[in-house]
Amino acid sequence: MDLFFWELARASGLATYAALCIAVLTGLAPRTQVLGFLAQNRAIRALHDWTPWIIIPAAITHVVALLLDATAQLSLLDVVVPFQTSYGQLAIGLGTISLDLLVIVLVTTWMRRSMSNGAWQLFHRLSYVGFVAMFLHAVLSGTDLASPAISVMTWATALAIAYYSLERAGKGLGMVKARA
Amino acid sequence: MNTHHLPLLSAKAVPGTQPGAARRKPAGKVPAWALKLGTLFTTLSIFAGSFGYATTHLYATNAPLQPATIAAADSTSVASTGTPSTSGSTSTSSTATTTLTSSVRTTTQTAVTTTRHS
Repeated sequence: MDLFFWELARASGLATYAALCIAVLTGLAPRTQVLGFLAQNRAIRALHDWTPWIIIPAAITHVVALLLDATAQLSLLDVVVPFQTSYGQLAIGLGTISLDLLVIVLVTTWMRRSMSNGAWQLFHRLSYVGFVAMFLHAVLSGTDLASPAISVMTWATALAIAYYSLERAGKGLGMVKARA
Repeated sequence: MNTHHLPLLSAKAVPGTQPGAARRKPAGKVPAWALKLGTLFTTLSIFAGSFGYATTHLYATNAPLQPATIAAADSTSVASTGTPSTSGSTSTSSTATTTLTSSVRTTTQTAVTTTRHS
């Protein structure tokens, strides 16, 4: 049974990473037209708003499976407070940070109407930091990234997101300069 | 050039378009529900594929992270197969490493210098 939780944790970790990649890409798409060949911005935006319904179950499965796995030796505190584990403090701590940031981004999105647009954007941009933390968590602790195929796909999606994030940032700066 | 004979296109003339949109690539027509279904299918496929991979590759010896219990077990097994010591006594250290010693001891008896004659 313990092996089942271990396998479940590995599979759900990769599924969470994939869902987060889709969420970030669909968030970048309206400005960068990265998915313009696929659909119009309104449909992409609808998909972006819907992705938490995939990310949340996948992330919860990953965390609960690791808590139930006897070999991983993680406690509830390790899930919330980073760098508390007896081993792999940086690798696992980055995963904890990404989970904390994910919760912040989701909660502030649901509270968007009760805060200013500037405050919401500030919180929402934490998702970039969260994605970087999750990517490093995957690279430093991901058991399945020892597989070349999985490693290549993971790095390719991360590089694509980095490229379009820079493009998005460049366009944002261009708009600010145009206004000035 | 007869460009002045061409009809002018405006945002009102073609519904769903905006000024300057003619220079952009035409957007895809996949509806939102199909995108959601595709995303769900993709994520579940990755989950299923990863689960199958994890089942067939249960022990990844080159995994970047090893839990403390496995690391401790590895260090104990390495220590127990270490180089034997040449000291005169057998001892076990507090860190659970066993020191192997030679069993040859000195004696006061006369040394045997001849072999048995048949």
